[in-house]
Amino acid sequence: MSVKIEQIDACRWRIPREGDMRTEGLVFADRAMIEVLRKEQALEQVRNVATLPGIVGPSIAMPDIHWGYGFPIGGVAAFDPDQGGVVSPGGVGYDINCGVRLLRSELEASDVRPRLKELADALFHNVPSGVGSHRRDLKLSVQEERKVLRDGARWAVRNGFGRAEDLEHIEEGGALPDADPEVVSDRALERGRDQLGTLGSGNHFLEVQVVEEIEDAQAAAVLGLFAGQVTVSIHTGSRGLGYQVCDDFIRVMLRAAAKYGIALPDRQLCCAPLTSPEGRQYLAAMAGAANFAFANRQLITHWVRETFEQVLGQGPARLRIGLIYDVCHNIAKWEQHEVGGRKRRLCVHRKGATRAFPPRHPETPALYRDIGQPVLIPGDMGRYSYVLVGTPAAFGETFGSTCHGAGRVLSRQAAKKQARGQNTEAELAARGILVRAANRATVAEEIPEAYKDVREVVGIVARAGIGRIVARLRPLAVIKG
Amino acid sequence: MGHYRLLAHTADMGLEAWGESRAELFVQAALALREVIIGQATVRETRHLAFTLSGGDDAELLVNWLAELLFHFECRHFVPAGFILEFSDTQLHARVRGEDFDPERHPVEREVKAVTHHQVLVEKTPEGWHGRLYLDL
Repeated sequence: MSVKIEQIDACRWRIPREGDMRTEGLVFADRAMIEVLRKEQALEQVRNVATLPGIVGPSIAMPDIHWGYGFPIGGVAAFDPDQGGVVSPGGVGYDINCGVRLLRSELEASDVRPRLKELADALFHNVPSGVGSHRRDLKLSVQEERKVLRDGARWAVRNGFGRAEDLEHIEEGGALPDADPEVVSDRALERGRDQLGTLGSGNHFLEVQVVEEIEDAQAAAVLGLFAGQVTVSIHTGSRGLGYQVCDDFIRVMLRAAAKYGIALPDRQLCCAPLTSPEGRQYLAAMAGAANFAFANRQLITHWVRETFEQVLGQGPARLRIGLIYDVCHNIAKWEQHEVGGRKRRLCVHRKGATRAFPPRHPETPALYRDIGQPVLIPGDMGRYSYVLVGTPAAFGETFGSTCHGAGRVLSRQAAKKQARGQNTEAELAARGILVRAANRATVAEEIPEAYKDVREVVGIVARAGIGRIVARLRPLAVIKG
Repeated sequence: MGHYRLLAHTADMGLEAWGESRAELFVQAALALREVIIGQATVRETRHLAFTLSGGDDAELLVNWLAELLFHFECRHFVPAGFILEFSDTQLHARVRGEDFDPERHPVEREVKAVTHHQVLVEKTPEGWHGRLYLDL
């Protein structure tokens, strides 16, 4: 089925309201991206989201949009509880609070290059990646796991993983309020127990990087970034615990949608009113899974610090590995937004989209008050990643949201086919990028060519004004699952 | 004869399966899921598990069936090989033979996060049973 789409300007497109749509669609993309999108189902998914009850403002898609399940990846949608607004587990995704954190250091690339191989090997050894891998020195009881769900990164800091000041630079302070471990199933707890402090597989990664270019010197100075500096990015989420919470609640929501008379163009869009018991329970379970993810990234941060200290033989005071920021890109959150001249409390779904709050917003950390909330946009393992900051325009137009990554262009099968006959690891090594992966299939499916050039995605976001580019980072060593 | 194929998807992967009976379709879908995770590895039959599942319709039951196998793989380290399936109303009674996961003999190719309900399909056609679903990787 083809979707009608009209160009608004160089980077905005409108899907006009028609049929059972309650609002229009707004897609951030250039013409070339739209031509590619027409061939898959992502635009249809933007339209499907627009049919859900209580949606406020347009059904939005970021330039890294691609075909997801129910909601597109790269989708943003806000719902008003006073207008029958809904919450949908499919609008958050299976990997609840999948997100990115960025660490800074006092090191320059020349400080680590001579020891890079050792550093990559040690990170690969110390941070569990791939299926079934976990630290032998971390055993969680069920009671302790419930505390992780309630307290998130605070649990980690309290137990010696990281520092109290880290918490100030995590979205929501590293713990969403209103998490209720009691509504998380035994299965979800079981799936998560051995996976706290693990990277996982697929597109998740740990990267040692160098700051390649500074585009906004003032913002970079506030973030503590300088050209040639070593940074570390961590991309992972709530692991099996989050996947199971989503799975459990999709079953609940399939019944709930029928119970509340919500018509679904796709089962995966199943949802319930925000004010219903099902809606409230999902949000409480989702918050628990989100907190598990915050704790997960916090534990990995601790092991990254330890590994740098061991390999480089320098103490924390000299290395000064600090947390710049930690963002969620799969989440639903209660936020205050002004719509139609009136402040409203809305539930904003971001599925493959990042919060990008402006300067002086109360949720923007004090240190970043004048520049806006940092936004972390990973690219592929062969090219680069970006650091942006949120803008007032994003707050006004996209509920304070921007893109989350490059977005795939090749299916896994197509990537694997293209990788056949090429030695991806050797080619990357020749370009100064070391790769350590739990299995070769992951590397083949994650080749740089499988992704859009993140520079194009970020370029559209910057031109549209819903993000401001601060710096570009290039990988030195990549750890994959 | 039952068979299956894996479907391309921009970010993830789908599977399509066929069988002369509903049970055969479900078995083929399970074998497709196993291939996505551990490729063509040989799996022995040294232990078994048995369970009963329900679903609002055949499509939901297919999702629940693969989700159950995924859970047993990930948490109980069980790799399936042989299946005896029976249906009654909206329920599936399964007896599955297989063995303990051994990373040496069953090298993991991909982590499957979940079995989705996106465009899930189970249909009876004049030629037999046909089903399709997508996995989140």
